[in-house]
Amino acid sequence: MQLEERQIEVEQSEPLNDEGARRDTMTINMGPQHPSTHGVLRLILTLDGETIVKAVPDIGYLHTGIEKTAEDKSYFKALVLTDRMDYLAPLCNNLGYSLAVEKLLDLTVPERALYARVILAELQRLASHLVWLGSSALDLGAQSVFLYCFRERELILDIFELCSGVRMMTSYIMPGGLQADLPEGFDAQVRAFLALFPKRLREYHDLLTNNRLWIDRTKGIAPLAAADAITYGCSGATLRGSGVVYDVRKAFPYSGYERFDFDIPVGSNGDVYDRYLVRMLEMDQSLRIITQALDALPGGPWQVDDPKIVPPPKYLISSNMESLIHHFKLYTEGYRPPAGEVYVRTESPKGELGFYVVSDGSARPYRMHVRAPSFANLQALPSMIEGQLLADVVAAIGSIDIVLGEVDR
Amino acid sequence: MTDTTETQAQATEPFTPADPLAAATVALLRARHGADVLDVVEWRGETTIVVRPEALVAVGQTLRDAPELRYDYLADITAVDWPEREPRFDVVYHLLSLPTRAVVRLKVRVGDEDTPHPEMPSITPVWPAANWFEREVFDLFGISFAGHPDLTRILMPPDWVGHPLRKDYPLTGFRLPSPHWGGQIPFDQPLPPGTGAQTLRTPDGREQPPAPPGPEFVTRRED
Repeated sequence: MQLEERQIEVEQSEPLNDEGARRDTMTINMGPQHPSTHGVLRLILTLDGETIVKAVPDIGYLHTGIEKTAEDKSYFKALVLTDRMDYLAPLCNNLGYSLAVEKLLDLTVPERALYARVILAELQRLASHLVWLGSSALDLGAQSVFLYCFRERELILDIFELCSGVRMMTSYIMPGGLQADLPEGFDAQVRAFLALFPKRLREYHDLLTNNRLWIDRTKGIAPLAAADAITYGCSGATLRGSGVVYDVRKAFPYSGYERFDFDIPVGSNGDVYDRYLVRMLEMDQSLRIITQALDALPGGPWQVDDPKIVPPPKYLISSNMESLIHHFKLYTEGYRPPAGEVYVRTESPKGELGFYVVSDGSARPYRMHVRAPSFANLQALPSMIEGQLLADVVAAIGSIDIVLGEVDR
Repeated sequence: MTDTTETQAQATEPFTPADPLAAATVALLRARHGADVLDVVEWRGETTIVVRPEALVAVGQTLRDAPELRYDYLADITAVDWPEREPRFDVVYHLLSLPTRAVVRLKVRVGDEDTPHPEMPSITPVWPAANWFEREVFDLFGISFAGHPDLTRILMPPDWVGHPLRKDYPLTGFRLPSPHWGGQIPFDQPLPPGTGAQTLRTPDGREQPPAPPGPEFVTRRED
C-alpha cells in the first residue's frame, strides 16, 4: 500500500460525531526531517484541533540492512556493525554481541575483562542518558541543559578515546575480552570523572526536577499504564517508569553484575516525568556500580588465552611464525562456533537489547537478529499520545529515548 | 525381551530440559498440547520448543494464562531462512515471564516448495507486542500472518520487490532500473504496474509531473 493511500485511509477511519458527520480533522506529517523526532521518524498524526486523534509511526528511513550484512562477515568482523545500531551506546551493543558469540563458543572471559566491561558499559549508559537528557530538555525549550550535558559527555568520550583511540564507534569490547588492555591513567581519569559528576548531576536536578515549567510540561503527560507497557513489549526506563520492576542486570545478571550492589529505580505514574526521574536516578546507580567495579578491578589478562579467538599481540607477529599464522587465519577466515542458536539479553541504556545469533558451524553468523529496545518502545508511542496535545508529542518522543539507527537497523 | 522393552521405553522417554522452569513449561505443553509439541531442544542452557503452526495461538494462550508460569512478555519475534530444508522457515518467538523470570523460545516451522510465501496464524491476539515484530518478519522474509491487524511493510519502502533477509536475495541487491526513486526491480524484468520512476503520485491518485529542473547557477546580487 502506498503511504499516501494509507494516510487517506487513516483519515477516513475516524469515528463520526453525534450529528453523523466526520469530525473536522486534519492529517499532518511530523518528520522525517523534524529535529524533535531524534532522527528520521515520521509520524502521521490526525488532529482534531490540537488534540491527537490517531498517530501512526512510519519507520524505516534509516534501514541499513545490518542484519543482512552481518551474514556476510565473519564473527570477528561483524562486531563493528553493532556499533552503528545504537550509535549513542556503541559499547553496550559491543557487549551484547560479544556475550552472544562467547555463549556460542562456550567461552569464559578473564575477570579483568568482566570488570572493565561493566565500567565501560555503565560509563556508556551515563553518556547515553546525558544525550537523552540534553536533547529531550532541548525539545521542551530548556536550552542550557543541553550544553551542560554535552560538556559532561565529552569527559566520558575522552575516557573512551583513551582506551580505544576512538570516541564513538569504539568496538573496544570484543568476543573474547577487550581489544587492548585498559591504558595507563584510565583509573585516574575515571576517578576524576566520578568525583566531578555527582555535583553536575545535582545541577541538572536543580535545573529541572523541581522546575515549575518542567513539571508542567512533563507531569501527567503521555501516560503509559504498567499493563500496557508489558503488553507492548516495552523495556528499560519506559517500562520501569510505569512501575514494573524489570532490569536485565538484576533479572538475568551477565558480565558479573550480580556482584555489585545497586538499586533499580521505578516510577509509579508512567508519565514523562516518571521516565525522566527513573533515568536521572539510574545515573546515580551507574556511578555506584562504576565505583565498586573500579575498586575491585583485578589485574591479569584482559583477553582469553586462545589465539584462535583473539589476535596475538603485535610484537609477536613480527617475531613468531605461529602468531603470524594465527593472525592471518583470524583476519581472513575467522573462527567457527558449533552449530546452534543463542539469545542473549542485556540492559542497554534504552532497554532490553537482545542478540539472537544462529550458527550453522561456519565462520559467519547464519543469522544475526537484534531485538532493539527502541523498536518495541516506539510501538507503544501511539497509545501514549492519542488524546494528548500536539505540543506534547515531542515530550513523549523524548521520554522514550529512541535511536532510529537501532529501530531500523 | 525385557531389555528391548526397557530400551524402547528409554528411547520414547521425552526429553526434559535441566532448567526447572523450562521443564515445567515443557511438561505443561505436553499435558495440554501433546500432539502439537514437535520437538524440545536445550542448548547452552536455552530451551527451544518447536510447535505446530496451527496450534501456535492455543499454545501461546496456555503459556500466557498458566498461573504458575505466566509468560506475559513477548520479547522478540524473528525468522531464519533455511532454503535447502523443508519446511523452509523457522519463526522464532522469545518469551519471558516477568513474575517468575522463566524464559523459553518457541519455534514454528513453515513454508515448503509450493508455497514460497507461507501463511501462519498471527500471535497478536495473545501478545499485542507482536504487531511490529510480525510486520518486520513479513517485510524481510515474506511470511504472512493471518489475523494481523495491519500487515504492511515496515522497514522497506511499500513498493519494494522481494524480501531482503531471505537467503536467495543477494547481499548486493538487484540492479536498479535507471532512473529510479524507490522500488527495486530486477533489471531484466518489466516494471510491475504501480512501481518505478513513473509513479510518483499525489495523495488523490494523480500522477505527479516530474519536478522542473532547478536553476543551474545562482547569480550573485550586486549590492
